[in-house]
Amino acid sequence: MSNKAMNCRQVKRLLPPYQDKELSGRAPDEIAAHLASCPACRSELEALTADIGLLQQAGAPEVTPFLATRVMAEIRQRHVAPRRAFRPGWVLSVAAGVMLVALSLGVGTLVGSGLAQGSTSATGDDIYATATADPSLDTYQSLMGGE
Amino acid sequence: MSDDRSTPSAGDDRELVVRAQAGDMAAFEELVRRHQQGLFSYLYRMCRNSSDAEEVAQAAMIRAWEKLAGFRGASSFKTWLYRIGTNLCLNLRTRRKPVEELPETLAAPDSERPEQAYQQKMREDAVQGALAELPADQRAALVLSVYQDMSYKEIAETMGKTVRAVDSLLFRAKTNVRKALAEDRAKGVI
Repeated sequence: MSNKAMNCRQVKRLLPPYQDKELSGRAPDEIAAHLASCPACRSELEALTADIGLLQQAGAPEVTPFLATRVMAEIRQRHVAPRRAFRPGWVLSVAAGVMLVALSLGVGTLVGSGLAQGSTSATGDDIYATATADPSLDTYQSLMGGE
Repeated sequence: MSDDRSTPSAGDDRELVVRAQAGDMAAFEELVRRHQQGLFSYLYRMCRNSSDAEEVAQAAMIRAWEKLAGFRGASSFKTWLYRIGTNLCLNLRTRRKPVEELPETLAAPDSERPEQAYQQKMREDAVQGALAELPADQRAALVLSVYQDMSYKEIAETMGKTVRAVDSLLFRAKTNVRKALAEDRAKGVI
C-alpha cells in the first residue's frame, strides 16, 4: 500500500474484506481513517453490513437425525460386510484341504479293501465288488426300491 | 445466523481423522455427526432443496470415508469434506436439467404474530432468491463466508482457488446480492 491516502473507489473495493477482517498490514487503519472522514463510504459500509445481516437471518432446515445413521449403514454395507462375508483365498484353501482329505480317505479305503482280498492293485471289478459289498448300500437300495 | 453451530475446531478433528484412517469406524461416525448439520445447511443453499442436499451430503460423507486414506491433513477435515460436497453438488446440477425449485417452509408460521411471520418469510424468500441468481462459484464463496464462518483461506481450500480469487468472488457476490435485495426493496417486497 502506498503512502498516498486511499480514495473512495479503492475503499469501496476493499470494504468486503475489511468487513470480514481479512485485511492485514496498514490497510485496515487506512480504511478506518478514510471512513472517519467520509460519510458516503461510511454509509456504504453500513448498508453492506445490513445486507449481510439480512442474509444471516435466513435459516436453513435442520438435517434429518437419521443422516449419520444412514451414512454409517451404507459404509458398513459397502466396505465392511463384504470383506468379512467373502474371503475367496481363505474359502478356497479350506475347500481344497477338505477335498484332499476326502480323496485320501477314499483311496485309502479302496486300497485297504484291495489288500484285504490279496490283491496288490484295485481293478474296476474289485472296486465294484467292494462297493456292492457295503451293507449301507443295501439299506440305501431298499429304501430307494432298487434291486 | 451461522450454520456452524457445533462444529469443532480442526484440531479436535485431527485425532478422530487419525483413528478413522486406522479403521476406527466409531471415530469416523463422530466426524459425520459433528459435520452433518453444517454440511447439509451449506448444500441446502447450494442445491436449493432439502432432498438434493441430503443426497449429496450422504454421498460426500461416504466418498470421504472411501478417500480417507489419501487425506494428508494439508487442509482441515472440514474444508476437505466441504470440497467433496461442493464437487458432487456441482456435478449433480450439471447432470440435471434446470428445474423450478419450490421455496421450502423452514419453520411453522407463528400463529400469534402472523404479520411478523409473513415479513420474515418474505425476507427469507428474497435472500434465497438473491442467492439463487448468483453463479455457482460466487454462491459457494458467499455461503461459506456468511453461513459457515470460513476465512478466505478456508474458502480457497474448499473451492480449490487462491485467496485472491476468493476475494474477487466475494466482492462480486456481495455486489450482486445487494443489487437483488435493492430491487426487492424498491418493489416493497422487503
